[in-house]
Amino acid sequence: MNEKQTKFELYLDEKIAACRQRCERFAADDRIDEGNFEKIRANVYEIFKTIFSAAEKACGKDESAMKRFFLQKAEQIPSSWTVSYEKAEQHGDVKKMHIESIKLETVREIRDIFMQIWEETI
Amino acid sequence: MTETEAISLFKCLADKSRLQILKSLAVEDMYVERLAERLGLTASTISFHLKKLSDAGAVAAYKNQYYMMYSLNKEIFQTSILEILQQESDEAQKQAKRDADYRQRVIDAFFEYGKLKSIPAQLKKERIVLEVIAEAFEFNRIYSEREVNIIIADFYDDFCTIRRDMIGERLLGRNGMEYWRIKND
Repeated sequence: MNEKQTKFELYLDEKIAACRQRCERFAADDRIDEGNFEKIRANVYEIFKTIFSAAEKACGKDESAMKRFFLQKAEQIPSSWTVSYEKAEQHGDVKKMHIESIKLETVREIRDIFMQIWEETI
Repeated sequence: MTETEAISLFKCLADKSRLQILKSLAVEDMYVERLAERLGLTASTISFHLKKLSDAGAVAAYKNQYYMMYSLNKEIFQTSILEILQQESDEAQKQAKRDADYRQRVIDAFFEYGKLKSIPAQLKKERIVLEVIAEAFEFNRIYSEREVNIIIADFYDDFCTIRRDMIGERLLGRNGMEYWRIKND
């Protein structure tokens, strides 16, 4: 595994751990919904950790292929979340909108960090 | 407030952030961004909580120029918890039916052709049996001990035990040799 891969995996692991910590803190502070938002964030990081592992397996040492694979999934997976957000917006479902926006925000952040790490060393 | 509404309100209130929002709204009406700034939460999170509070009837929204203002629904918070507890519910009816069914099962098990077969060992069941026997007594009438014994003997031969237990359960009152039926709610 090269430096970029290690760095990106470390970033995802740190984010997952931070979400879990915040979730516990919120639960202890009787802020269950906000704790659940952190669980949702952690789930998104987990999904992209799995995707990244799949990219590593599928593309081997070909970094460009890995980048294509990962970015393609980072477009594909949240598309249903975007649809869900739009539907919620049409129906004025603020609760659903918030949950979908957390997921979409998290994906955006993951994609930006991925690009940052990938461009840094290529 | 219905039982479902009360449950939804209590669930909604069991959250620190939402309580903080309500505390802020108790001071003055506010818009989302103002609440977000005050409580250190994102506007989107505040909107999420406000929607829950609004669904539970705890807050109301109104338009003020460009802003959607939120205010505390004071009326709902003036309802006392005791009032909510005293409200009739579907569950109370179901519970009453379950109690009536249980009572009938006990009566069927311990009475045969109007005669008591045995005194139940369980106090709860004995109470039911004694209540059935008590129905043979009229209210607002004084009975002599002999009359009491005859009435009870129609149900069970050991009238002494039954008479004593009926007094113990406050179904019958006694003053010397005079007995009367006590009204129970």
